[in-house]
Amino acid sequence: MAIARERWATKIGLVLALAGNAIGLGNFLRFPRQAALNGGGAFLVPYFICLLAIGIPLMWVECSIGRMGGRHGRGHTAGMFELLWRHPISKYIGALGLFIPFAVAMYYVFVESWCLAYSYFSLTGSYFGLGSMDEIGHFLAGFQGVEKNQHFSSLLPAYGFFVLTFAMNVAILLGGVARGIERLALWAMPLLFVFAAILMVRVLTLDPPPGAGPDQNVMSGLGFVWNPDFAALANPQVWLAAAGQIFFTLSVGWGIIHTYASYIGPDDDVALTGLSTVSLNEVAEVVLGGTIALTASVVFFGVVQAQAIAGQGSFDLGFHAMPLVMEQIPGGRIFGAMWFLLLFFAGVTSSVALMQPTIAMLREDFGLTRNNAVLVTAGLLFLCANPVIFFLGHGFMDQLDFWAGSFGLLLFGFLEIVVFAWVFGMTRGWAEITHGARLRIPGIFRFVIQWVMPLGMGAILLSWSATNLLPELTLEKVAEIDRPYVLGARLLLVAVLVGYWVAVRTGSRRRAAAAEGAA
Amino acid sequence: MTLAGWIFLALAWGFVLGLAGYCVFRTFRDG
Repeated sequence: MAIARERWATKIGLVLALAGNAIGLGNFLRFPRQAALNGGGAFLVPYFICLLAIGIPLMWVECSIGRMGGRHGRGHTAGMFELLWRHPISKYIGALGLFIPFAVAMYYVFVESWCLAYSYFSLTGSYFGLGSMDEIGHFLAGFQGVEKNQHFSSLLPAYGFFVLTFAMNVAILLGGVARGIERLALWAMPLLFVFAAILMVRVLTLDPPPGAGPDQNVMSGLGFVWNPDFAALANPQVWLAAAGQIFFTLSVGWGIIHTYASYIGPDDDVALTGLSTVSLNEVAEVVLGGTIALTASVVFFGVVQAQAIAGQGSFDLGFHAMPLVMEQIPGGRIFGAMWFLLLFFAGVTSSVALMQPTIAMLREDFGLTRNNAVLVTAGLLFLCANPVIFFLGHGFMDQLDFWAGSFGLLLFGFLEIVVFAWVFGMTRGWAEITHGARLRIPGIFRFVIQWVMPLGMGAILLSWSATNLLPELTLEKVAEIDRPYVLGARLLLVAVLVGYWVAVRTGSRRRAAAAEGAA
Repeated sequence: MTLAGWIFLALAWGFVLGLAGYCVFRTFRDG
């Protein structure tokens, strides 16, 4: 069952692949909304404190766990947790790092395909001429198959783009770690930054539209995101929002960074690699993401409407407001294509990462070849993704996002840091983090990892759960007609989780049997 | 955009660009 482990070909390729995993749609759509709604520039105070106290150290922890796993031929968190904690339950906790990325991939690839489709629609001018947020909303709903209208009479175009996007992901993964994922990162990430920089310059040089109000200009747009409201610092919800944003943006608590780090050499650095990944993500988020979408929205719609857009959600900002902006600027078809293509690049570099942990498990624990592992993972994912596409209007995707993409990663991140700092122990943990480090990590981080992170992440998990869990469990916000679909989504999630538990149990036994045979 | 807004923007951009620049420098210097 022992297979030769793949390795990253270059250090820069590794950093770009890790950054590609971290940089997603949220950098460009979620961050500016969170900043504008939570105190503007003042939001950056708790944001950077949480980056230093949770984000950067957790990146180091996950990279070091991953490298340690790779040293023992284990590329998924279930196997790695058995190394951290020699207890039968540890692999079932670790299995969350297989379940979460797979469950998120069930809807993420579909969302990613919207970006590819909208890039095409921008080039062809398909949505140009729709003059209001309402009309553009119907265009999106028609495309998604949520309603039939004059723009789309069936789900076929959306399904076609989904299949195309899915096939691209599979083709990349068939190339393996160095020739597939790393090569993708080496060209997609620079392109993403170039596109984002061009769009940022375009937004900063926007002229107000004819008949614009006095607040419809670039300075008001920047002020909308950055003017500090210091009173917000006294609001615990603002601190929670900042911690949540750090958690979501760095893609920690998913189980993916572990898998990527397992392909690092056993004595290679994780300290500089982790910090580099974080810094690239922050440039994409704070500099580029913080400037493009909301600033443009203020220029074209004014502060009041931009506030409403920010309050409605990331998709409203990305797929309603931005197409309307693109319609009104010279060269809008090109800039629109660029905007959605950069979102697509952000998406595809993340979605291939979502599938890799399961591929690693199938290869290492079940002896499948790379091609077979990719095809089995893709086949299962394709089956599970279909209900999301066909039942999108009934809240199917929201369920996956809530349980796997929000609650799951907060829970896994908390359990992971407790197991690492308190079960594996900080003496061995610190030795793992600093082993081969090309950067001197200040000793204060040992205290941060042992005390601040478990307490801070426990507090985030508790307060998030207190606010969100009960209303979700009682279905109080779900319409009567949608309840069977919501329950169906939950049943699917439970089935997938149980499936992973059975798989890691079998894999663990096969590993033990192979080790006994070798002895 | 107020003066305080500019200060926060400059500090935030300075921090993340400085950090990224340092990491890129170290990555390429050490090979």
